[in-house]
Amino acid sequence: MDAVDARNLTKRYRRRGGSTTAVDDVSLVAVEGEILGVLGPNGAGKTTTVEMVAGVRRPDHGSVRVLGLDPFTDRAAVRQVLGVQLQSGFLHGALTVRELAHLYRTFYGAGRDPDELVATLGLEEQRDVRYERLSGGQQQRVAIVLALVGDPRVVILDELTTGLDPQARRQVWGVVEDLRDGGATVLLVSHLMEEVERLCDRVTLLESGRVVAHDTPAGLVAAAGLGQRVRFRVARPLPPALLDRVAGVEEVAVRGEQVVVTGRGDLLQEVSTALVRAGVVATETRLERATLDDAFLALTGRPLTDDPSAGPRATTAPTEEAA
Amino acid sequence: MTTTVPAVTTPSGRRAPSRPGPRAWAALVGAEARMVARDTAGLVMPFGMPVLILVMYGVSDATTIAVPGSGGRTAFDVFVIPVVLAIVVGIIGVINMPSFLAYYRRSGVLKRLSVTPASPAMVLVAQVVVSLAQTAGGVALALVVATVAFDARLPASPGVALGVLALASAAMYAVGMLVAAVAPTPNAALALGLVAFFAFGATGGMFGAVSNLPEPVARVGELLPFGAAVQALGDAWAGQPVETAHLVALCGAVVVGAVGAARWFRWT
Repeated sequence: MDAVDARNLTKRYRRRGGSTTAVDDVSLVAVEGEILGVLGPNGAGKTTTVEMVAGVRRPDHGSVRVLGLDPFTDRAAVRQVLGVQLQSGFLHGALTVRELAHLYRTFYGAGRDPDELVATLGLEEQRDVRYERLSGGQQQRVAIVLALVGDPRVVILDELTTGLDPQARRQVWGVVEDLRDGGATVLLVSHLMEEVERLCDRVTLLESGRVVAHDTPAGLVAAAGLGQRVRFRVARPLPPALLDRVAGVEEVAVRGEQVVVTGRGDLLQEVSTALVRAGVVATETRLERATLDDAFLALTGRPLTDDPSAGPRATTAPTEEAA
Repeated sequence: MTTTVPAVTTPSGRRAPSRPGPRAWAALVGAEARMVARDTAGLVMPFGMPVLILVMYGVSDATTIAVPGSGGRTAFDVFVIPVVLAIVVGIIGVINMPSFLAYYRRSGVLKRLSVTPASPAMVLVAQVVVSLAQTAGGVALALVVATVAFDARLPASPGVALGVLALASAAMYAVGMLVAAVAPTPNAALALGLVAFFAFGATGGMFGAVSNLPEPVARVGELLPFGAAVQALGDAWAGQPVETAHLVALCGAVVVGAVGAARWFRWT
């Protein structure tokens, strides 16, 4: 049985002068124990989709099953096994972190130790601080505590690391990995590549309310048909045509001392071997792989995010002599 | 459309009760109580204003004017105390409670609870329970101040007074629920609540004897929750039979408020 089985979800919103289709025939399937990423730019329909899975919004068409249960008709049973962290949820502002965690724990038959969970999310120092006095990042972590306090078997996390600093972000990622190790299924909404690449077993790409692709992160990159690049410096000019016939090489660009080789397969190994054989000393050798960002751009023709800092970026291999 | 559901299998593994039990109810009531107690500004009105009014009238000659046919009670007992109790019930029911509920809806608290086993309706009930406790506290404080500081006498018909107070609370809460239901924002809820409260109060004797009001206004005010509560409580204090019209008016407010709230309340 799939942990999450959402089929052909469609949601329209009525606007003045017509209706907008926010989600158009989207299906999401997550098997038990996996982290499924729901990825897409702002306005792609990610939140609307997971809110339908969570039973917050009724789909106009389509069906939702969470562990075989319908969140609308089997509400009580689904709520016990589904933990949800929504983007828009605010909490009782005058209650402290501890009070909130203990309050939400009482809603569930079985669950985790609220104090322990508060500590796990790094909120120990804030546990007696009122929710309304916390920073955005701290409020976000409280939301995660409350999503997990019932020890859910399926968890929906919507933009879980928004507003977190890099250290807190890594801490939260660790928590999500522990969830998977514990056998839980996670539906992770994100527009952060690093997050998705690190955490997700599979990814459903959404754009303009439709599914563009569904695969593993590596599979998506491969499907986009993007190659890899090896970049290095040479002290003396490269012998002409040295790399042209090396397996996997598609293009060699030389600009001064800098050489960029584009290709596929085991490119770094092949190029390094060829250079060593020819007695060429290469320095600052780096392998640049296409990322999910690049794949998204290739698949949809649009960048995933407008934020330049989160834009396409290279996964850089440690700079070292290729030997 | 959503396909029909096949026979439901309960997820294997653990067998937990699927609805929150008494512990959850107690925790939610505790949470609402903390919310109300930490809202210092919201406590000033229902506890401070009645005491202020008691003191104002207590030092006037209202405590010396005997009301005929009331078993020796004064104007303070028969007119002022009922007004003060109606103020306590009215502020909590019509102003404070809807503000909390509108804030919960606006801020997403109700939505957040709707994805837990606790239903948002539990918050409504918890809020009513806390409001009841707050009302009891406000009434007790007012009565203690009135009797200790100004030698006020308790009602000639205590049972009737208690019944009327309960009915008046129900009427005010129902109106409050209606306010919470139709107000789009917390601000609107506060504004609507204040307008309703002062309209009821002004026509019901909050700012002085009803006999000073134009006759038609007084007639209408007497049938609104505040005026009806004041009149019925006054009768109970004096030991006079409570007029049916006042009881019917209070019951009417309960019905109108409850039906309207049920019809228009939005969770998100």
